[in-house]
Amino acid sequence: MTLRVGIVGAGNMAATHAAGWNEAGDRVTHILATGSTRAGSLAADLGAELSDSYEELLAAVDVVDICSPTDTHLGYVEVAAASGVSVVCEKPLGRTAKEAQEAVAICEAAGVLLLVAHVVRFFPEYSVARDRVVAGELGDVATVRLDRSTYFPVGDGSWFGDHERSGGVVLDLMIHDVDYARWVAGDVERVYARRAEPTGSGGHVLATLRHRGGALSHVQGSWAFPEGSFRTSLEIAGSEGLLTLHASEPFSALVPESDDVSAVPQPPTTLAESPYVTQMKHFSAVLHGLADPIVSATDAAAAVEVCEAILQSIDTCQAVTLGGAS
Amino acid sequence: MRAGIFGVGHVHSESYVENLRAARGVEFVGAAETDRFMLADWTKRHHAFGYASDDELIAAGVDFGIVCSPTNAHLPTVERMAAAGVHVLCEKPLATNVDDAQRIVDVCAAAGVHLMTAFPMRFSPSLATGAEWIREGRIGEVLAITGTNRGHLPTGYAPWFADLKLAGGGAVMDHTVHLADVMRWWLGNEPDEVYAETNRILHPEVAVETGGLVTVGFESGVFATIDCSWSRPDNYPTWGGLEIEAVGTEGVFTVDAFAQRFDVWSNGQTSWVDWGSDTNQLMIDHFVGAVRGDHPVAVTGFDGLRATEVALAAYRSAERGQPVVV
Ligand SMILES: NC(=O)c1ccc[n+]([C@@H]2O[C@H](COP(=O)([O-])OP(=O)(O)OC[C@H]3O[C@@H](n4cnc5c(N)ncnc54)[C@H](O)[C@@H]3O)[C@@H](O)[C@H]2O)c1
Repeated sequence: MTLRVGIVGAGNMAATHAAGWNEAGDRVTHILATGSTRAGSLAADLGAELSDSYEELLAAVDVVDICSPTDTHLGYVEVAAASGVSVVCEKPLGRTAKEAQEAVAICEAAGVLLLVAHVVRFFPEYSVARDRVVAGELGDVATVRLDRSTYFPVGDGSWFGDHERSGGVVLDLMIHDVDYARWVAGDVERVYARRAEPTGSGGHVLATLRHRGGALSHVQGSWAFPEGSFRTSLEIAGSEGLLTLHASEPFSALVPESDDVSAVPQPPTTLAESPYVTQMKHFSAVLHGLADPIVSATDAAAAVEVCEAILQSIDTCQAVTLGGAS
Repeated sequence: MRAGIFGVGHVHSESYVENLRAARGVEFVGAAETDRFMLADWTKRHHAFGYASDDELIAAGVDFGIVCSPTNAHLPTVERMAAAGVHVLCEKPLATNVDDAQRIVDVCAAAGVHLMTAFPMRFSPSLATGAEWIREGRIGEVLAITGTNRGHLPTGYAPWFADLKLAGGGAVMDHTVHLADVMRWWLGNEPDEVYAETNRILHPEVAVETGGLVTVGFESGVFATIDCSWSRPDNYPTWGGLEIEAVGTEGVFTVDAFAQRFDVWSNGQTSWVDWGSDTNQLMIDHFVGAVRGDHPVAVTGFDGLRATEVALAAYRSAERGQPVVV
């Protein structure tokens, strides 16, 4: 059965997800976006309808895919759950930990699926590294180093720069590696972080996570790197071994610099299948009852909780101990 | 100019002996070591004279010496050397506590002998380029620095590296000071706050911390992290490495101080063979020049003291779970 998908938002992620749904064999039939100049052309490209209201969209789809700014996520999740429609939602699940936990509880109570797009889990270097950990090749994880450094994104209406809406570099970017750190090293017990916020940049953050099992993660998240750059790195050291990511890309070239810099940075990937497509195929399989979710909704909420503690540490200049384990 | 090595407990004595022999105008006299077996083995391997005590080596007539005993034994040796007017190049960290480190600085000052801390990284051409870039403002204003100085468990050469009493701690004591010194050098200002997390997951058989992540705040507001973990496995192709990256308002630069290497596959093993400048030789040549009166000592005892203070503050922080003032 082909799923009918309704996408909320018509920006960068909406377009990326739409391509993924197509590859998965599903169909984006409806789009709802407020204040977007791109919604019409995206809908036309996909052969989808522009919905006048969210209710109208929900009535016509099997699954809603929320790709709107972060602070709007919970509202859309709530109404979808009340209508019994399954939910795919971009990360972060909520603007605050409370919002994210509410989203989890509401979907659970309504019995609808809540699949959060922590796409890093679908990047092969990250998933294969985690497979090695799970296979026990590295022994007990001791130290993890994760880095995601890029330039300041410009979204539709530059909501990324509004901390109240996006949560800034920690909630928007660093959360990818916070989720990954939890995936390989478990729940987080304590965090400490520092942030630099030079004018005109989105901030540069270094965080130390202490996991409940004793492992330590060093996480760098930056929107202060030069325009056009996107760097990620990954290293895991354990009692029985060490895994480091070989940094070079399989294709490289030297050509005169172009000024063709995308507004919203995306990591470079030289793969037969984009990890964004892999992710949507997985979501499709879960929605068809053919697979278990790789990212649980509670994991997505826990990542927001850790990010909130990181923000608190930045604000208070103190280490922050997290509450009960999830 | 006559020179000796005071103590062969530190693995660097193995290379310093060759550096002393290669240094122009220097006659290598021999090594003093109270452990008879270690001394016999060392002198045999290096075809060198051995002395059963510091006093015997001093009596043989030396103008300067390199202190390579376990860290807690530095002070009494330095006291003897200073009293005899022998100039001191002391292995890092200076001491296992601030009082001893301060005393090392004081006795040398009182005796009017040169004291230099063995921070060979000050002589690394790539790190010197970094210092120059910062001085010239080529990445704008520095926001943050990340450094890693990871190695394998160093107890293969001598077990005292993982002995709390002799070394003052484990990985934090061993590997924090080099980067703390480079950061002070680059930034030209002092650390005023330290946060650290440590663990004992790698090599749980030793009784000290083997993993550590240290965050250092500087007076200027710049913050930095140091990964000092003994996280390179026994079969890593080299002893470890030192990497450091500075992020500024106008750019980013990264230094891999040991990147000048070959990957060599031979005899069923992979190894990294360094072909970069020999920073130990440059350091010793510099000290010889200072003793000769050509120039002041580039890395003073005070520098060694400040770096030691950062490592010691890291232990206080790790114990408290909160940042501490340096
Ligand atoms: N996984 C990733 O790699 C990744 C990358 C970037 C962004 N994101 C996340 O995806 C989400 C969207 O980011 P984006 O980059 O697509 O942003 P964007 O600014 O490009 O797009 C946002 C879209 O939402 C629309 N919109 C704004 N307010 C709305 C509302 N109240 N209701 C419905 N639509 C509304 C806008 O018109 C726009 O079309 C965010 O939560 C962001 O954190 C994820």
